[in-house]
Amino acid sequence: MHLFAQSIIIGVLIGGVYALLASGMTMMFGVTRIINFAQAMFAIVCAYLSYSLFTHFGIDPFLSVAILMPVMFLFGYGVYSFLLRRLGKAGPAMALMVLFALGIGAQGVTDLVYGTNPITFTPSYANDSWVVFGFQIPAVRFFAFVMAVAVLGAFHLIRQHSKLGRALRATSQNPAAASLLGVDVQRMSAVATGLGFAAAGAAGPIYGLIFPFTGNSQYDLLSKLLTVMILGGLVSMPGVIIAAVFLGVVESVIAATLSPDWSSFSFLVALFIVLMVRPQGLFGGHRVQGALW
Amino acid sequence: MRRTHATHLRVFSGTAALLAAVGSVLVGGSAGASSSKPPLVIGISMSLSGDFSPLAAPELNGYQLWAQTVNAHGGILGRQVVLKIADDASNPTQAVTNYQNFISGDHVDLVFGPFSSLLTIPTAPIAKRYGYAFVEPSGGSPTIFNEHLDNVFFTQPAPILSSGDEFANYILSLPAKDRPKTAAYPTVDDPFTSPIVTEIRDRLQAAGIKTVYSKTYSTETVDLSPVIAGIVAANPQLIVSGTGGADAVAEVKGFIQSKFNPKFLFFTGGPNDPSFKTQVGASNVDGIFSTGDWFYQDKTAGNAAFVQAYVAKYGGTPATIDSAAAEAYAAGQVVALVAQRTGKVDNATIVKALHKGTWPTVEGNLSWTANGSPKGEDIIVQWVKEQLAPVYPPHAAVTSPITKPPWGG
Repeated sequence: MHLFAQSIIIGVLIGGVYALLASGMTMMFGVTRIINFAQAMFAIVCAYLSYSLFTHFGIDPFLSVAILMPVMFLFGYGVYSFLLRRLGKAGPAMALMVLFALGIGAQGVTDLVYGTNPITFTPSYANDSWVVFGFQIPAVRFFAFVMAVAVLGAFHLIRQHSKLGRALRATSQNPAAASLLGVDVQRMSAVATGLGFAAAGAAGPIYGLIFPFTGNSQYDLLSKLLTVMILGGLVSMPGVIIAAVFLGVVESVIAATLSPDWSSFSFLVALFIVLMVRPQGLFGGHRVQGALW
Repeated sequence: MRRTHATHLRVFSGTAALLAAVGSVLVGGSAGASSSKPPLVIGISMSLSGDFSPLAAPELNGYQLWAQTVNAHGGILGRQVVLKIADDASNPTQAVTNYQNFISGDHVDLVFGPFSSLLTIPTAPIAKRYGYAFVEPSGGSPTIFNEHLDNVFFTQPAPILSSGDEFANYILSLPAKDRPKTAAYPTVDDPFTSPIVTEIRDRLQAAGIKTVYSKTYSTETVDLSPVIAGIVAANPQLIVSGTGGADAVAEVKGFIQSKFNPKFLFFTGGPNDPSFKTQVGASNVDGIFSTGDWFYQDKTAGNAAFVQAYVAKYGGTPATIDSAAAEAYAAGQVVALVAQRTGKVDNATIVKALHKGTWPTVEGNLSWTANGSPKGEDIIVQWVKEQLAPVYPPHAAVTSPITKPPWGG
């Protein structure tokens, strides 16, 4: 029973990181109808950049989030404005392929610059942990979870309680109507892409703090993010967060109590069941217009 | 100083075309030395690009250092050694093509093996078909030996799957009161790793050490914390972990965070890499066991000179020399020894000679079974005073095993 409860704690903590990454994809998809297949790789790139900031300048990985988020926002804004927007007529499928190619290209660059040996952060608190009611709480994972919650909270505030957020939501719900009401849909799409990339800027350093990573880590991460998105309903932000935590817990509990071999597979089983039983996702109210499946 | 068998790493191969265009023919040693005899040309397919290129680089260094060294001493039987190296882009098909070109096109005198089991498996039969000896430093997969090729000679002391045997021997050599009573056996699902753990587990179980945890995780597993939670809950005194590198680091960090300090901690891979200390923290390495085929402190034939020459040529420190370099250097050593002992350096003589006797190299005294599998044993190493040191078997040890201290934090 203790192991079961401990594995739930582990799952919740890592689920927060998945939620942060997947929320960026959801935010972008909600407005642009483009699935960012490079989200995982951009997070890994940010993990590498955070590693460089840490090793060369002594900047703590958590602090590097404050640098990488705005950088990634601008990068995302630029990618939409100068690349994805021009693919408009080719449709989301072409944009998806372009982003996937960007991810592969980015991996090539990181492999050349950093090599292919796994990278590990070793800040002074890397091995700290607390015992709470007999359960181990690793400090890094706890801080990562808190950071993920904070960033998700900031995204929520922007989305729900700002003029920009209203414009984003309007564009997401009905681009044509939003445009008629004076919303610059293309600009909102660029902003949503920027926010999605910024989520990778926040989650990358956190991911790198928790797990050893290489450029190749993107594929496992991407498969998890896609599962989280689909389970959460593609455009439902709360749905994606709940799905991320749920899958994190399922993965952890199965690994600890049954077999670690089955834990990754649990994501795919969840994906299969959802696609069969409720293709719009557990929290999707309707089939998403323009979605690729 | 990790094992050099095929790994799962993936490397962006955008430089492949560039490297191939350069010509990928590198010359080892001074081919133009004043010798009236023709050079001894040795063909080697090498992963200069592709997935294995970063890992294969030390092997190439070892080959080239050997050629340079032997040429500085007059070559082999008065013939200067020339290494003819072709890039295989880490691709088995290209490696096969390279050896066919070496043998039937270039008519090289000898060939040495490529990097990794993946490339050795299809290329060894090519050499066999043409009657060439295939002295190879990094193809340790059982598949190679199961081919029963009498021209194959693997220049490491033991087959990879036997690399944990000495740790089991060490545990079983302890007085009963000092032996662990319980053991955990987590392992990555890798054909080169999990059999090592299984072998150790079977022997220790038979000796009465109770197995309290034994689970396999896939190579794609990123988050090992549930595995660690399971081990901690089982509370073993000994952990034998089948790891490749990053997972060993993750496990150590997890044990530290869980404030769990087993009496014995053995990893098949990871701690035998000098960078392990940096990754887990210097204060946490002492007492951790691992295994390997070569270490810079080894008292083997020519090792001190090899280490000195390697550092002089390539920089770094003795502790940062990858064992792949020593394995390749040993391949050259055995051929030079055959020439020295027989006065000949043709393929038939090499094959015949190497099936008899022992051959002292930097990898130890090598000898082989009829299928090219080495007959020796690997070395057990342990971090002692923040240095990696051979500790078992006793004849190879530079210090005694220590009791694992508490984690430094």
